[in-house]
Amino acid sequence: MGLAGKLSLGALAFIFLLSIAAPLIVPYDPNAIDLDSLRQSPSTRHLLGTDNKGRDIFARLLHGGKISIGISLLAALVSMTIGLAVGLVSGYAGGKTDTALMSLVDLILSFPTLLLAIGVSIVLPAGIYSVMIALSAVGWASFARLIRGHILSLKEIAFIEAARSLGCTGSRIMIVHLLPQCIPLALVMAGLKAGGYILTEAGLSFLGLGAQPPTATWGSMISTSRVFISSASWMVFPPGIMIAVTAVCFNLLGDALKEKYDVRDGKGL
Amino acid sequence: MLTKALPGDPVYSMVGERSSPEIIEKIRKEIGADKGVVRQYAGYVTLLVQGELGRSYFTGRKVIDDICVKFPNTMRLACASMIIAAPLGIFFGFLSAKKRGKFTDRVITLFSVSGISVPVFWSGLLLMLFFSLRMRLLPPSGTGGMQYLLLPAITLSLPALATLVRITRVMVIDIMDMPYIRTARAKGITEAGVSMVHILKNALIPVITVIGLEFASYLNGAVLTETIFGWDGIGRYAMEGIIKRDYPVIMGCLLVGTLVFVFINLIVDVIYHYADPRVRVHGTGR
Repeated sequence: MGLAGKLSLGALAFIFLLSIAAPLIVPYDPNAIDLDSLRQSPSTRHLLGTDNKGRDIFARLLHGGKISIGISLLAALVSMTIGLAVGLVSGYAGGKTDTALMSLVDLILSFPTLLLAIGVSIVLPAGIYSVMIALSAVGWASFARLIRGHILSLKEIAFIEAARSLGCTGSRIMIVHLLPQCIPLALVMAGLKAGGYILTEAGLSFLGLGAQPPTATWGSMISTSRVFISSASWMVFPPGIMIAVTAVCFNLLGDALKEKYDVRDGKGL
Repeated sequence: MLTKALPGDPVYSMVGERSSPEIIEKIRKEIGADKGVVRQYAGYVTLLVQGELGRSYFTGRKVIDDICVKFPNTMRLACASMIIAAPLGIFFGFLSAKKRGKFTDRVITLFSVSGISVPVFWSGLLLMLFFSLRMRLLPPSGTGGMQYLLLPAITLSLPALATLVRITRVMVIDIMDMPYIRTARAKGITEAGVSMVHILKNALIPVITVIGLEFASYLNGAVLTETIFGWDGIGRYAMEGIIKRDYPVIMGCLLVGTLVFVFINLIVDVIYHYADPRVRVHGTGR
């Protein structure tokens, strides 16, 4: 892995650690309303200032990071698992199963992502889990497509034929012989996807469809800051910078992994 | 179908929580919420077949009429963004590939990775902060002429610009190593000629797909941009529908958004057919 990949992995780990250790770092409760210090600009008491309810922005930023990164990683993991399972079965079984599963995948991929995620998250009661489910429900399809393609090419290699002639069952071939071969590919994709999920999650909570107030997320912090943009512009910068930095790191990491494993996903990106 | 079954009662958001049960019951009957899910769905499909999308629960206007008013606005925004993104994206992608590994390439790559990582609703706010609130050059929000269009169009163009830079760079680098490029150079064609005719022409074929897909995704990425800049388009309309749980509006927008998406995919496939002779020969697409 190149320097950029290592740096971004380090930065991601650092951001994640900071947000987990948030209570140790900032003395303020992220949701504690302090009416004596409304909309204060950054100072030594409040490093990044306070928001419209007197809550410490730095505290909210770190606590929000836990949720934003957590949701994205979890969603990447869930969609990777579903995508692996569907891709494996579809690619190995072929025939009607393959046609049916891939039609479903095509159907999902033909919807605009954000629109579909909005659609799913309004069906569910608003909250952290519904965002995660929405992201996974939309995201697994591209994993499945990728894995299926990989399985199709793996199936032709002699070791699968050898396994079959030794009397391995279909499920054993899939789990023991094919699955491990797909893991690197799936991980690369998950890295790239997590970067996109950060943005979609932020978009959803910006629209008020994510974690509900008073819980802080980066997207909802930007959403709040929007109202006070002319009077309290310091509220705008921190959450956006965090989203951008995290997404950049995920993307660079994905790129680095892609180069390392020499993977090409369907989009050529 | 799904959106019909969701929690969050539109009737409550219409009349507020304190109204009498009789009024609620009356409105329920009016919008058909007292019927079962299956009958509601059947009713909706019947409407669709008649070329109708129902009426908004709140304004009482026909959803299809509203969409006809707002869609051109969204279209204008999407076109303006593409006019910014496409030439710049191709130019910088090409430049980056030509200077592969050099300083220029690094800088462009850094910007393009940032471009796909910065949320549009944030970059929009920053542009608004600097150009409207600090420098007072452009109006912060509203729908209207050029001065209103500029900021949302730039905001919306950024992610597409970055994607185009990335894809153009990859394609040009791939093609630069092909034997026929060496042949062209050996024949004594000028560097500019090789670049324009041999490299760029071939590299642009996949770029068409990306432009098409990005254009289609504008019509949903626009949800965020339109909300921020108060642009009176489909995206904001959908958003208002979602907040008020105005189901006919939500369904209508989802439907139109998806139709546009499918339609643009179709157009891209047709363009491909003309742009790339190989597709015609094999007849199997990409």
